[in-house]
Amino acid sequence: MVEELRVKARELLKNKQVELVIGYQRASDGVSATPCFIENEKDTDLLIWDAYCVYNLSSYLKDHPGRKIGIVAKDCDLRSVVVLLQENQLKRENLFILEMECQGVIDERRLQFSDKQNQEISFAQKCKSCQSSKLSISDYVIKDRGEKRKTPDDYDEYGPIRKMEVKATSERLKFWQEEFFRCIRCYACRQICPMCYCPKCVAEQAQPFWFSKAINLEGNFSWNVTRAMHLAGRCIDCGECERACPVGIPLRDINKKIEKDVKELFSYEAGSSTEAKSLFACFNKNDPEGFIK
Amino acid sequence: MLKIITKEDLHKILISLLSGFEIIGPRELSHKGIFYEPITDMKSLYWGEGFATEPVKKFFLSPSEYLFKGRYDNGKEVLDDLPLTRNKRIIIGVRPCEAIGLTLLDKVFNADEYKDEFYLNNRERTILVGLSCLKPDKSCFCTSLGGSPESNRGLDVLIFLGGNEFIIEIITETAKEILKNSGRDLSQAETKAWELDRKRRKESLNYRIEVPESLDKIFESEYWEDVSRSCISCGVCTFLCPTCHCFDLVDEKRKKLRCYDGCAFCDFTLEASGVNPRLAKKERYRQRVFHKFDYFKKNFKENLCVGCGRCIRFCPVKINIAEVVDKAPLVKS
Repeated sequence: MVEELRVKARELLKNKQVELVIGYQRASDGVSATPCFIENEKDTDLLIWDAYCVYNLSSYLKDHPGRKIGIVAKDCDLRSVVVLLQENQLKRENLFILEMECQGVIDERRLQFSDKQNQEISFAQKCKSCQSSKLSISDYVIKDRGEKRKTPDDYDEYGPIRKMEVKATSERLKFWQEEFFRCIRCYACRQICPMCYCPKCVAEQAQPFWFSKAINLEGNFSWNVTRAMHLAGRCIDCGECERACPVGIPLRDINKKIEKDVKELFSYEAGSSTEAKSLFACFNKNDPEGFIK
Repeated sequence: MLKIITKEDLHKILISLLSGFEIIGPRELSHKGIFYEPITDMKSLYWGEGFATEPVKKFFLSPSEYLFKGRYDNGKEVLDDLPLTRNKRIIIGVRPCEAIGLTLLDKVFNADEYKDEFYLNNRERTILVGLSCLKPDKSCFCTSLGGSPESNRGLDVLIFLGGNEFIIEIITETAKEILKNSGRDLSQAETKAWELDRKRRKESLNYRIEVPESLDKIFESEYWEDVSRSCISCGVCTFLCPTCHCFDLVDEKRKKLRCYDGCAFCDFTLEASGVNPRLAKKERYRQRVFHKFDYFKKNFKENLCVGCGRCIRFCPVKINIAEVVDKAPLVKS
C-alpha cells in the first residue's frame, strides 16, 4: 500500500497536479506517525501508512488557501472533507483525495495504560463501529489487500451514551463536572478539530466576553458545552478532540450524544452524503418542534 | 542527611502531618493519567515510575488567579487586595525536573527588580518532597539540560524507592526539623549501595541532545517554517511545561484575573490596533524555542527547559522540541 501511495504522490507532484501532499511520516520515536507536508517529489519516500496514522489531516487544509493539495485520507477523514465542502471551506477542484483503505487505527493512550501492551493492538473506539467507505468522493483509492478486519455486528456505538442517558440529571452533572474540572483550557480540542475553522473563536472574544477565561469549573463548563453545541450536525466523529486532550476528558461521548440526537430527530448524519446540505442549512416542515415552548 | 524509612512509616508521618499541612501528591486516574491532587488517604498515593500530566507549577503559578477586586465606595473607586492563602503544604512525589523548573521560575518571579507576592507566598508555604526517577520515559532528556533523574536541586527531601524501604535524602533545615525523629540512619554498606544506585539512576538516561549556545544566526532560517508546519497552535506544550510562565490579564466581574497564556496561540501577540507581529505559526513556534534556548539564557544564564518531555509526550501531533533543538545548528541560515 505504502509503495503505491508514494508512487502516486510522486506522480501528482511531478505532473504539477498538486503543489503539496499532506500525509503521514514516521515520528522521531520511531514508532508513531506525525503529519508531513511534501512539496518536492524527491521527498515522497517519507510517506508511511499504518495503524499509527491516527491524525485527521483535513484540519490542515485551511492553512493552505488557494493551493492545490493532495491529501491522504482515511474513511472517517473523508467525512470531514465532505462537511468542509458543504460549508464552502474548500474548493473541490483544488483537492486531490488519496483514500487509504483503513483497517482501524491505534488508541495510543489505551496502549500506554494497558497492561498487555504487546499482546494485542488496541484499536481506537471509533474504529469499532466503522462502516467502511460508503462515500465515493476520492480521486484515487489505495486498497488494502490484507484480510478485512471485522467489526462485531452487535457492537452498539451508542452503548456508553445509552448508559449515561438513563442516569439522573444530578448524576450526569456530577460526572461532567468532575471531567471538566480537569480541563486546562489548552484548546487542543478546538485546534485539532477539522470543523473548528472560525477565524475568531467565541472563546477568544473579549468584547463582549461570552464566558469566563478563568480556568475553573464555570469557565471550563461553558467552554466545553459551547464547543459541543457548535459541532451539532457537523461533527463526523473522527475522535481527534478526545485523542488530543492531554487530561483525558471523554469528549467523544458528548459528540456522540449530539450525533445520536441529531440522527433521531432529523434522520441526519454529518458527512455521509456529498449531495446533502448541512443540517442547519435545510428546513423541513416535518422537523420536530418539541423544543419550542 | 540520609535516612531509611519504610513505606508504612512514611505514610504514618504524612497522616500525622495532615493536621498542620495540606498534602498534595500524585494519583493515577485510570485511562487518563497521573495527576497531583490533595491527598488524605495515603494509600491512594501513586508510587510508580510514570510522570504526572501537569507539573507542580500549577500550585505556584496558578492557571488562573484573581489578583485584586474593584468596588465603589461612596462613588469613589477602591481597589482591594484579595486574601492570600497561607496554609502550609507538602507536595510529595515531585520529579527532580519539576523542582528545577521552579528554581528557574524563581529567577523571574523572585528577581531583584520584581517580586511576585502570589508566587512567593506559594513558594514559602510549600515543602517539596521529590521522587527520584528509575525509568526515565522515552521523551525525557533532562541530563542534556543540567538535570538528572536523581538531582536534588530545589527540593527539601528526595526519596529513592527500593522495595518496601525508602532511602530519603533530607536536604533543607525545615525538612530536618520535621523528620528528625523518623526512620533510622544508614549503615556504611547501605550508604555505599545508595551511592551506586544514585550513579545508576544518573546514567539511566541515554538520550542526549546538543543544546546550542545561541540561536541568533538561524533566526531567519526556513527551518522554523519546516518544523512548525504540523503545529496546531494549541496550548498543550506551554500549559504543561514546568517552566513556561506567560500569562494574560483579564478583567472579569470587577476582578483582575491572571491566567495562563501561551505563545503558540494566534492571539497571544494580537495588539489592540489589530496588528499581530506573530501571525504565522513559524513565528510563534520559533518564539517558544528562542525563549527557552536563547533569550532566557541571555538573561539568566540557563536554558528555560528542564527536559521533562511533557511537550513531546502530549503534543497532539508529536512535535519533538528536543529533536528540533538538536538539529537546529546544522541548518545553514
